[in-house]
Amino acid sequence: MSAVATPARQASGGINTKLVNRIVIYGLLALFALFYLMPLFVMLVTSFKTMDEIQNGNMLALPKAPTFDPWLKAWGETCVGLTCAGIKGYFWNSIKMVVPAVLISTMLGALNGYVLTKWRFRGATLVFGLMLFACFIPFQSVLLPMATILGSVGRFGVTLQNSVGTSFGLGNSTVNLVFVHVVYGIGFTTLFFRNYYEAFPTELIKAAQVDGASFFQIFRRIMLPNSMPIFVVTVIYQFTNIWNDFLFASAYAGTGDAMPMTVALNNVVNTSTGVVEYNVNMAAAMIAALPTLIVYVVAGRYFVRGLMAGAVKG
Amino acid sequence: MAFLEIDGLKKRFGNVEILKGIDVELEKGGFLVLVGPSGCGKSTLLNTIAGLEQITEGEIRVDGRAINDLHPSKRDIAMVFQSYALYPNMTVAGNISFGMEMRGVPADERQKAIDKVAKVLQIGHLLQRKPSQLSGGQRQRVAMGRALVRDPKLFLFDEPLSNLDAKLRVDMRIEIKRLHATTGTTIVYVTHDQIEAMTLATKIAVMRDGEVQQFGTPAEIYNNPTNLFVADFMGSPAMNLIPATIATSGNALSVVLQREAREPITLPMANAPAGLSAFQGKPIIFGVRPEALTDPEGAERNASNIATADLHIEVVEPAGSDTFAVTNLGGKGVVARLRADANIQPGTSTPLAFNLTKAVFFDPATENRIR
Repeated sequence: MSAVATPARQASGGINTKLVNRIVIYGLLALFALFYLMPLFVMLVTSFKTMDEIQNGNMLALPKAPTFDPWLKAWGETCVGLTCAGIKGYFWNSIKMVVPAVLISTMLGALNGYVLTKWRFRGATLVFGLMLFACFIPFQSVLLPMATILGSVGRFGVTLQNSVGTSFGLGNSTVNLVFVHVVYGIGFTTLFFRNYYEAFPTELIKAAQVDGASFFQIFRRIMLPNSMPIFVVTVIYQFTNIWNDFLFASAYAGTGDAMPMTVALNNVVNTSTGVVEYNVNMAAAMIAALPTLIVYVVAGRYFVRGLMAGAVKG
Repeated sequence: MAFLEIDGLKKRFGNVEILKGIDVELEKGGFLVLVGPSGCGKSTLLNTIAGLEQITEGEIRVDGRAINDLHPSKRDIAMVFQSYALYPNMTVAGNISFGMEMRGVPADERQKAIDKVAKVLQIGHLLQRKPSQLSGGQRQRVAMGRALVRDPKLFLFDEPLSNLDAKLRVDMRIEIKRLHATTGTTIVYVTHDQIEAMTLATKIAVMRDGEVQQFGTPAEIYNNPTNLFVADFMGSPAMNLIPATIATSGNALSVVLQREAREPITLPMANAPAGLSAFQGKPIIFGVRPEALTDPEGAERNASNIATADLHIEVVEPAGSDTFAVTNLGGKGVVARLRADANIQPGTSTPLAFNLTKAVFFDPATENRIR
């Protein structure tokens, strides 16, 4: 009898533990999700409320009379420091900085990865090790030396301006930031691409060589078209990092016309005059966070598609 | 003067010598197979011909012109890789025409060349597909198409069939042989499969540890191996290499083979090679291929020197077309190849015929052939 009964009891016990496990897992996940979504929820809700409602109401309550005014004000009217023309100019500043910085650093990373894996030279491992080391250098330690370099480059730009009539962008704050982010990003992009190309079949390169393709033709026609997954990963990573950077932005373009979004947002929120307009601040913060979200949503789809293509043998 | 000549080719990586002086030549329209176990340097040799590896010493000439310092694309060669190395982002047509595109051939000429090759290889319906949508055999064809379309002086094949399943491999092997016969191209082919080597080649170079052990026609390699390694490597099932001693009876030499639990067999050698007399009373290695050890009825009728002996059969393996019987001689398992319908039972003693005309002898100390 007992021999018959035992499996049944075990089975029912098994179902119970399984259920408890599920409840614990999903409960914890829901809790964490709530914890992370709460600030976003408060920001979103607050950005659609009027000031009266914020001062008198509950922080978590939904807006009674939703309004787009805070968003419009943040975009076009709010004061950043002393100028009151909204954050739109700074938004474009960030775009003008991020797009070239991401593209240049990604392309250089791809080229480095290609050379380090498929055109190995004596000391290639050492060079890669040193580039990897660049990933671990803290931002802060770069600040002053980089400021000195940018200063010299700027003076050279002035000299060029006086003698030739154009500075070729040398000394321009946006160009400076692009340069800094490219230099700082190469370590990471090289790491990504090198590891991806390490597993890239070398016979393809040999076949292309026999076919008569040159160094750059192989790179452009064979390597790049087959690098979509890692390309997207790198772009997402670089875009998020550079867009969200505050330290370099405030150090090298903290004042003036080239100020990126992050610094401008800080200046909006830190305005000490008058009432603190929480709804406008929240709307500005949402606008500042939007591009990274969009990049992730748009490119993330290609990312998954790229992974699927790689999963098919061949 | 041969079409492809390789003279004293050496290749070193640092202090390690991968190729230790290779001398090989091939006539125009010939089919040279480089065969050997993994790590013997056969793929490296092929890569040096292709120009994908630089050579340290020596010279490679094609049609009388030294090519060893030229870029791979300037050598007028085409190569088929083990993994096929099809560009995954291009269609089949794009793959085939990529080389022409790189050389600046106009689009309409490229299209004509693609169509011609597609017809030869019957891949016309695949031209717009990507490599990932093709089966293994189709990829293999496309890879050959990419080589064919260049119409080069020299074709290089790097283990092209090793990724295919057994049946497809046999089909493609025949197809390559047919292609070679109809187009009359000159081919260098690397493989570790000695059957591919035997069936395809007009010349075989058996390699080991960066050296050519023997270079000759398939028949020479098979019937006259120069050393133990070649004898053991070529042929399936492998040649029986039996430890034996040489004795004299009267003025004729004979080979003495130890049997388990019975008196030794003495095989009189009527046509012993001259070098064998120096080994009287000494150990040698007696080599006899399975087909030269068979049932007396199945033995070659016109062979001049046949000796029959009773052997204890341990295992019988009917393989359909043949029956293999395993016995024990000189402490080693020895395979005999019998007719499919030979009446033979394991555990019994059966008379088997040694075709001594085909027997070969090796010095166990140097592993070289005794001639």
